[in-house]
Amino acid sequence: MAAFDYSSAPFPIRADLSEAYRITWRWLARPGSWWTGAEKLAIAAASRSARGCALCAERKQALSPFAVDGEHEGEHAGVAEETVDTVHRLVGDPSRLSRSWLEKLLAQGRISDGHYVELLGIVVCMASIDGFHRALGLPLEPLPAPEPGSPSGYRPATAVPGVAWVPMIPDGKADGAESDLYSGRAPNVLRAMSLVPDCVRQMRSLSMAQYVPIAMVPDPTANPGRAISRAQIELVAGRVSALNECFY
Amino acid sequence: MSGVPGGEALTALAEAAVGGDEQALRAARESVRRALGDEALVDAAAVVGNFERMVRIADGTGIPLDEPMAMITADMRAELSIDAYGGAERTGEIRGAKRLAGRLLSRVLPTAFKLLARR
Repeated sequence: MAAFDYSSAPFPIRADLSEAYRITWRWLARPGSWWTGAEKLAIAAASRSARGCALCAERKQALSPFAVDGEHEGEHAGVAEETVDTVHRLVGDPSRLSRSWLEKLLAQGRISDGHYVELLGIVVCMASIDGFHRALGLPLEPLPAPEPGSPSGYRPATAVPGVAWVPMIPDGKADGAESDLYSGRAPNVLRAMSLVPDCVRQMRSLSMAQYVPIAMVPDPTANPGRAISRAQIELVAGRVSALNECFY
Repeated sequence: MSGVPGGEALTALAEAAVGGDEQALRAARESVRRALGDEALVDAAAVVGNFERMVRIADGTGIPLDEPMAMITADMRAELSIDAYGGAERTGEIRGAKRLAGRLLSRVLPTAFKLLARR
């Protein structure tokens, strides 16, 4: 049976959603820029199981999330301790992350900024696909089997440090192999993971199916034929963002 | 409430989905189904998923608000206390001529978008 087969689902689910999710599943299984397929899937599994972690719940209530130590709960086979902690912080309390936290993490020398961005790309894909399933009360899709091979080590030559905590490809510099990522003046959220271009591609693919195509975002009257209006879409978007205390 | 059709049901869905309360989520799904239909429920769930992703991209990379958006939303953010969010420190304060320009734009843009919608 193909992944994301919704033929038995209690609601009709658009084919573009299942196709976008399959694209992400295939990406997860493949070696990436910095992690192998097996490592990416281990991160995905850790990300999925991070919800419900008692340590994360305690940290979220604490005045500072860095004042509480302990062991994370969940599935962590094949994932180093600092990577598990990174995954859990991104899943459980992202609005209280800081530049200094990331700098200390990278200074440990075990993962690079590229590893971190690719890890972030995996965590956010899992958050969006699993979030969709949980909202509908559907079972979570089993993770795929990893494909063999080594990470490419690819780093866009145009990615440079700037306004974010990680290097990004600046406006007007997404060309050559990255020309499909964005053109002209691109918002920071589109450029945020450009250090690992495939993470931006995944984001675009999922946004097209789950929200609106990137080109339609700036026009608040645009709607790609959804069953809810753009105003209803933005109401849900705004509420989810506020509940996550996301300033951006 | 928001004035958006089905707004109460959609808000309840968003809150239950993010909060993780299964009982509330079941009730919220039924509310959306009754108010707006099954396809609307699926589309709303997709938006929930989308923004569970987007907030973590923003907060995981520390990106500031883009300047045009920061200018246009400066007054609104202050009014809604959004500037109290932890991530607000990543975006510089908008002052002086930029604050004034943003205030003017924020008054003009809603009318411009309404005109666009009518076309």
